[in-house]
This record gives sequence, structure tokens and C-alpha cells, in this order.
Amino acid sequence: MDDFTIGFLVGLAAVLVIAAIIKLRSRKGPTTVAEKAEDLSKRRARMLPALALIFLSQQGAYLSHASSNTAQTIKISAWLVLSVVLIAALATKGFWFEPKAVRDLIDDENTRANRNDAMRLGFLVSMAAAIGIYFMTMFDNMKARESIHIIMTLGIAAALLRWAYLERRAHRDA
Amino acid sequence: MPDRLANRLKERRTELGLTQAELAEKVGVTRKTVNTVENGVFTPSATLAIKLAQALGLTVEQLFWIES
Repeated sequence: MDDFTIGFLVGLAAVLVIAAIIKLRSRKGPTTVAEKAEDLSKRRARMLPALALIFLSQQGAYLSHASSNTAQTIKISAWLVLSVVLIAALATKGFWFEPKAVRDLIDDENTRANRNDAMRLGFLVSMAAAIGIYFMTMFDNMKARESIHIIMTLGIAAALLRWAYLERRAHRDA
Repeated sequence: MPDRLANRLKERRTELGLTQAELAEKVGVTRKTVNTVENGVFTPSATLAIKLAQALGLTVEQLFWIES
């Protein structure tokens, strides 16, 4: 099994463990659809900044060239899995293991507006990063993979942080 | 200065003895959405505005108005 596959499986396992913890914790919680949606919505607002920090902290490992090639490859493929999962969470209703009624209620009008706002910022930050890299490559060579990594990381992290801010503000006003 | 959509959601909800959660359940949204509409943080769609007005026994114009 090559390093990339190992990293991919490590990332996938981490995502599944997080999903299992969320599912197990929610079994002990509220019973009605409205209560469950409220509970999950609050939990998401708390989780988003933590997810953004975990995601960003992975980049330190990528940008420092201290570790071996094997470790680098594993980290990069794990980063790719987490990126895909976070993009899917941003682009869909999320909470894929919850019943449809709960998922529909969580993704109500205000949440959709917040999500769209966050994705808009993520897109703008990605474009700004792409423009910055375009200028940088006039003076220094940069690998395509490195460029993509920076553009995706900044875009996803900006979107996550914006969404976290909007969701926390919406709950805080209560 | 941009127009602002003001409302008497909280006043009417309190008159009827409803909590944010109860109103939210009646119109099919989370309490967070009712909260943000009440506080003027979020401007609801026409659909949600009509649902809220119906749930509170008012017309949309009685519940929402524009403040310049």
C-alpha cells in the first residue's frame, strides 16, 4: 500500500470517528425533531471554529519541510480527505447521518443565508489567493500542487470561520 | 441610509404567550431563525414573512414595516 493511500485511509478514519462521536452523543440528547435540530445547530456553531483550527493546523505540517517524504504524503492525503468533507459540509445540509426531517429543519432559511454568505467569502478569499500566487510566480517558481493547496486552504478556512461567526451570532442574540 | 425591515414579532409573540421555540415550530424553522428575525439581524423571505404573520394572526403589513 503506498503512502498516499495510507494517508487517505487515515483521513477517512478520522472523519468516521468524528461522525460516530457526534452520532453517539446525539442519541442521549433531545427527542423531538425541533429540539434535536436546535441542539445540533448549536453544536455546529461551537464545532466550526475548532474544525477551522484543526484544518489550519494541518497546514503547518505541510509547509514545514522538516518531516520525511512518507510523513508528508500521508499528511497531504489526509488533508485532501478533510478538505473534501469540509467542502461537502459547506455545500450541503451536513449531518448526513441524521433523519431527513432533522436535516431539513437545521438547514432553514437563516442557516442557508449564513452558509451562502460564508461560501461567498470563501470564494473571494480563494480568488484573492490565486491572484496573489499569480503575481508571486512572476518572481519565484511555485509547484501547481503547492498553489492549489494554498488556494483551497485559505478559501475553506475563511468560509468556515465566517460561517462560525454568523451562526454563533445568530444563537447569541437569543 | 439603507432601508431597514422593522417588526413587532416579539411584542405580538409575547401577547399570545408563545416562546420563540413554539413559534419556530409553527412556521417550520429553528428558534435561531425566529430570534434573528426578531432582532433585525436577518431579513426573512416573503414566504417566511407570510408564515410568521399567519401564525401570529396578523397581516404581513401589520407585522413588518420599512424604517428609512
